[in-house]
Amino acid sequence: MEPTLRAGDWIVVSQLPRGPKVGEIVLVRDPRDPNRLMLKRVAAVADGSCTMLGDRPEESTDSRTFGPVPLPNVLGRAVFRYGPIGRIGWLWRAPFVT
Amino acid sequence: MFLTRLLKPTVTASAHCDLPCGVYDPEQARIEAESCYKIIEKYNASNDEQFKTRAIVIKEKQAELAKHHIDVLWSDYFKPEHVQKYPEITELCWKAAKQCSKVKGSLDLGEARTLLDMIDKIADVWTKAGGPQATRVQKAVAARA
Repeated sequence: MEPTLRAGDWIVVSQLPRGPKVGEIVLVRDPRDPNRLMLKRVAAVADGSCTMLGDRPEESTDSRTFGPVPLPNVLGRAVFRYGPIGRIGWLWRAPFVT
Repeated sequence: MFLTRLLKPTVTASAHCDLPCGVYDPEQARIEAESCYKIIEKYNASNDEQFKTRAIVIKEKQAELAKHHIDVLWSDYFKPEHVQKYPEITELCWKAAKQCSKVKGSLDLGEARTLLDMIDKIADVWTKAGGPQATRVQKAVAARA
């Protein structure tokens, strides 16, 4: 998910009172291993599942590898990075999302 | 210091990416499993306690590597369309990964043989799924000769 997220970032995730929207970064359970949590960007939402993509499609392991993620596996939305100090900021607006 | 500890996240999520090399081959797991097999043979043939201790340590490492390679195949190479076409692959990989743990903790040659057979079954599916053409770089003719 670089450059948006980097290893070691401290992220606040809020529960979703509604379904995920395209462009948001969400916390999901890996469909291959439910104990593994991932942060990926929502590329599409359809038929009760979510297609996830990383911000570097050429290197990302995402729905192209593990398929669409069922909506119950979407646990929340990444809203704010509170660490490290130099990278504090809101996450809901990625520069390329229109 | 106290504040850092208080604010430090308690849950870790992954957002990393794999390197896009795209090379996957069950042979990697098989070579590690073969190492385990041969090490057990050598262990049983030896009376040297120091050698036997080293053999156990190395076998455990190789078994862990075999498990890693199986896990990479299952989670990164096999795609949903493969699972749809060859539904047995999930159980094959799952059982083979568990067998690696058995081999790690055992000196029974039969367990190592079972692991090799399981990896061969995964390799059969990998071949049927077009693995050799899709993931490997073909050797030059001169290198094959």
